[in-house]
Amino acid sequence: MLPDLIFALFATGILVGAGLIIAARNPMLGMLGMLVTFINAAGLFILFGAEFLGLLLIMVYLGAIAVMFLFVLMTIDLEFFKLREKPKAYLPLGLLTVAVLAGEFILAANYGLFSTNVTMLPTGEQPQNIIQIGNVLFTTYVLPFQLSGLVLLTAMVGAIVLTHRPRSDVKRQSITKQVLRTKEEGLTMTKPKLGHGTGTNVAKHWKPKSVAK
Amino acid sequence: MEAISQLIVPNPYLAILLFVAVSVGLAAALQAVPFLTHPMRRSKEKISAYESGFEAFDTARRTFDVRFYLVAILFIIFDLEVAFLFPWAMVLQDISWFGFGSMMLFLTVLTIGFVYEWRQGALEWE
Repeated sequence: MLPDLIFALFATGILVGAGLIIAARNPMLGMLGMLVTFINAAGLFILFGAEFLGLLLIMVYLGAIAVMFLFVLMTIDLEFFKLREKPKAYLPLGLLTVAVLAGEFILAANYGLFSTNVTMLPTGEQPQNIIQIGNVLFTTYVLPFQLSGLVLLTAMVGAIVLTHRPRSDVKRQSITKQVLRTKEEGLTMTKPKLGHGTGTNVAKHWKPKSVAK
Repeated sequence: MEAISQLIVPNPYLAILLFVAVSVGLAAALQAVPFLTHPMRRSKEKISAYESGFEAFDTARRTFDVRFYLVAILFIIFDLEVAFLFPWAMVLQDISWFGFGSMMLFLTVLTIGFVYEWRQGALEWE
């Protein structure tokens, strides 16, 4: 009874969040709806005993992906009203997506994937979700695991190639150069007479505003 | 003591659920009570954006430098790498040297990427 109620609570949360994503005129509000959806999905994961996956959803999706969506929203020029000019232009693509998704759901239901006979709420008796994953991920599924590493490498290199523009107009600190400086090139010892200065004519080279960044 | 806590909270996650329920309820109440009890007289100055007492210079929806995006995506990649390390650390005793080696290979691949981004200067803010 209680697990059913909790399920209904989280499922409602997901639907509300997802509805907010589509309906919100302000993209930032839609982003908030996405966060609501993620949190409730994490709650469902935990409800079905996949504690590690639920916490991972919070860590990765809420902690990192959500921030990235925010940055993407901020880096593009938001002209939200342009989307509303020709809503019918998006209709075929939307219908196609709905058709594909509905077909997938019907197929999954035919294979019995939507069985109601699932254990709810982790009881602590079955081995922990994180251990079950770990036992197969690094041995049986070692190939997908290594491929995921390569995907991450590709994403890293791709992001750098696409967005990183080294700038030459800024002064940078070179730590190696600083550390390798010797006493001879950085220091001059003089014995000035009282009231005559050092005699090395510092004032000629000194400019007030040339402080290096 | 443990028996009592078992009696009250049969599942440890119920305590978290209760915590979530209380915090959501409290937040909703704190929003709802002023909304219901206080008079609302809106004026142009009240509902306009407050920018430290100045007139707002510009809209808040200005475009950002793309470098923020680069930092975010590099963060996600290392976040995922850490996510893989959690189950690995939990089962390290059971997966033998093969499991250990597979994670080392994974880390090596990502370290190559890390060295690349370091040499490219992608971690420098400028």
